[in-house]
Amino acid sequence: MPVDEPTHAATEVDEVPVERVEHVDQDPFEAEGEPSAARRVLSALSAGNISAIYVFVLLVVIFSIWVPDTFLTTETFKSLLDQQALPALVALALVVPLAAGVFDLSIGAAVGLGAILIAWLIQIKGVALVPALAISVVGAGLVGAVNGVLVTRMKIDSFIATLGTASIIAAMTFWISDQQILGLPSNLESIAATKLFGFTLPVYYVLVVTIVMWYVLERTPVGRRVYATGGNVDAARLSGVSTRTVVFVSFVICSTLAGIVGVLITARLGTGDPTVGPPYLLPAFTAAFLGATQFRGGRFNVWGTVLAVYVLAVGVKGLQLGGAPIWIPDLFNGTALILAVALAQYQRGATGSSHVNRLIARFKRQPDPEPTEV
Amino acid sequence: MAYDDEHLPNRSVKVDESSRAGGPPGPSAPAGRAAGSTPLLEITGMSKWFPGNLALDDVSLSVGAGEILALVGQNGSGKSTLIKVLAGFHDADGGDISVTLSDGEVYEGAKARPHLHFIHQDLGLVPTLSMIENLDLDRKSSWRDLLPSRTSDEVAAAQELLREFGTMFDVRAPIASLAPAERTIVAIVRAITGWTDPNSVLVLDEPTSSLNRTEVDRLFRAVRAVAARGAAIIFVSHRLDEVMDLADRVVVLRDGRKVADVERGGFDHDDLVRMIAGRELANFQHEAHAQDEAVPLIEIRGLRGHTVEDLTVGLRAGEVVGLGGLLGSGRDDVARLIYGGLPREQGEILIEGRVVTPKGPREAIAAGMGLVPADRAADGLVMTMTVAENLVLPHMSRLRTPAGNIKVSREKAETAKWIASTELRPQRAAAVVRLLSGGNQQKVVLAKWLRAEPKLLLLEEPTQGVDIGAKTMIYELIASAAQSGAAVLVSSSDAKELVQICDRVLVFRDGVVAASLSGAQLTEANIIQQSLRVFTPALDKGEADAG
Repeated sequence: MPVDEPTHAATEVDEVPVERVEHVDQDPFEAEGEPSAARRVLSALSAGNISAIYVFVLLVVIFSIWVPDTFLTTETFKSLLDQQALPALVALALVVPLAAGVFDLSIGAAVGLGAILIAWLIQIKGVALVPALAISVVGAGLVGAVNGVLVTRMKIDSFIATLGTASIIAAMTFWISDQQILGLPSNLESIAATKLFGFTLPVYYVLVVTIVMWYVLERTPVGRRVYATGGNVDAARLSGVSTRTVVFVSFVICSTLAGIVGVLITARLGTGDPTVGPPYLLPAFTAAFLGATQFRGGRFNVWGTVLAVYVLAVGVKGLQLGGAPIWIPDLFNGTALILAVALAQYQRGATGSSHVNRLIARFKRQPDPEPTEV
Repeated sequence: MAYDDEHLPNRSVKVDESSRAGGPPGPSAPAGRAAGSTPLLEITGMSKWFPGNLALDDVSLSVGAGEILALVGQNGSGKSTLIKVLAGFHDADGGDISVTLSDGEVYEGAKARPHLHFIHQDLGLVPTLSMIENLDLDRKSSWRDLLPSRTSDEVAAAQELLREFGTMFDVRAPIASLAPAERTIVAIVRAITGWTDPNSVLVLDEPTSSLNRTEVDRLFRAVRAVAARGAAIIFVSHRLDEVMDLADRVVVLRDGRKVADVERGGFDHDDLVRMIAGRELANFQHEAHAQDEAVPLIEIRGLRGHTVEDLTVGLRAGEVVGLGGLLGSGRDDVARLIYGGLPREQGEILIEGRVVTPKGPREAIAAGMGLVPADRAADGLVMTMTVAENLVLPHMSRLRTPAGNIKVSREKAETAKWIASTELRPQRAAAVVRLLSGGNQQKVVLAKWLRAEPKLLLLEEPTQGVDIGAKTMIYELIASAAQSGAAVLVSSSDAKELVQICDRVLVFRDGVVAASLSGAQLTEANIIQQSLRVFTPALDKGEADAG
């Protein structure tokens, strides 16, 4: 035997037939060519694709019958839009890192940092409004930069890294001020409380952010790169996407937007409060995950997220008007999230690998509907 | 291109016939104990279909008690499928398994499974736990598990077994701290402790791939000890010298069929290589497109990094160069080293005489390269995105309008073109890639890079897990890339594939090019011989002395 035997041997790289077994049954009834227009419209309107809209309609109908006097008023819907503008902005901010495949658990803390910074700068440090706004937003944005460095350079899992920064930022927030900062000037208040055509400005901010984010994420090469990074970071990198830049920038955008929301909260309240940020965290995640089940078949997306925010809000509002107890919103949000995601999972099974559905499809011998895959 | 394969099928057929005439294994196995009249494990007429592919075709084999049977064959020859069918991971489409125990009791089909024990390459041990703790994992759980374990007894029992295997190590140390051979021995011990009968079957799937020579010897001592206890051993390996060393009998699989079943002493290295390799070539015919130029289109100088020690090669436009060799020989890292997907220690890459040496995939793409990775699910495709989105991912800026968005009509036109020319099924740009079959997924990866019109196309295992139809299409696509002036570098563990599609094949061994084969030299047998280092006269002599 030769002494310098190679220490490596070929590994069996046999085909992975399991994967192919699943697909062979699909071919016969898979559509050849693009599906017809009618089928596209049908699948676009399917419950799996826009379930939240049906739920929305259902909720409106239920509450219109249950509490018609208070629920079916323009005031209720106006106040809903106003109240939910800031949570919607936080949820939208969260869509960016989630689309890029990373968690940002520090988003609530970044909201809190922005909220306390603006009040502290104006009231305690006597900084003028515009520089104070800039510093607050940039300060919150720095949280994202730190997250970005931790995740892309130090290779810490985003869940852990942002959990750490969330805690640190929350501490910093209280270090800046452990009590409310009162008596803020009215010109600050005007950026959040000014009304235009009956709605406060944040409603328009949501509209603008939604449209811009939708355009960038869904219509530009940049958005494709974000989704590719979130879908498979290695494949994206080998296809020439600068995945580290994508992740870094997504964190920065998220924190910056969160900081803006913090400033708007302080402006709306007229008070700097170190405790306002963290409660925004969970609703934002709920909305983003629920939103991912809508429209884009499992992809985190802008319109789905906005829809989710308002569907949840309508449900909670109706229950409150109907006299439900104080713990109802949490119960409703949690149940809705789990139900929506479970439904989407079930649908995914239907087009992907569920044996029952393959059997049914074989009987029908019909082209597959548009896949509602993640 | 001439294929020097005329004699191969004939000679392998001869071996085949002689082995059949020899009949089933007898007690003549020199190292094995006298096996009784009935073999311990008997597999008869085993077949397994995968879509478009008969992975196992009427395979019958048997192993006696105390016998060590080696199962050899190329990638895709059906070895893994056979093991997976035995393990119950796949259902067979025909055939029987039966185990005959020492008391004459016969167990068939699923009832035989408890007497079959498998040690897969990953061993299935928990690396942070000790040998003792790993052995405990297999016991049936009961409320007694809440009582303190009697560790000293377990330690003594484990040490006793190790002594029997002619080895000793700390049974209380975490698995991760043990040598690779020791880990494999732990896995064997774990399998043995689950036996209800001394006559059981132990299947070792590539147990030596991470071991050096001394460790292999240690492991083989243990394996022989297990056989001596009355077990039947099936040993799967690519390393023919080990097969010669350990096996009492060798079964060769090729294209899902058993082509040889030979006793120890009835074959030599050359026979084995011929039996493994010899098969007829499929219908794809390679045509040389290489252009004669003074300066090669691509030059790779002194490339070094990861498992590659040194590579200097020039590729002409239109030339398809293959990289052969075992996994870990270096050939599987070359593409990524060139592409910048793995860190380079040394070396430069020139395209059209200009030094490009990309630092990462982005620069590589900008310089005109494309990489089709071996693992398309992990590295090649974003499975959750559509065919169109995957197709245009590199060089997306081309589709941009002045407003910065993607011009949908252009994207549609481009993807439609590629979907048509690759005969993708389903023909839908909006289909999510995850729902496509393996072959169609691979077409998407390939089309993605062909769209970029690369100067250098790097391919790793281009037809792995792909059915025959898609395979031919992929070969045609590779040829068309060469025809349009790209230099193509293909790394493959399938020697037949390299012979079919390449002008020249560099065979790697220990990180360097051991042989450059072209023209009449370029045969499957030569590639396999060169990668297994069994054909050089000096080595043959050395091995003859050792054997």
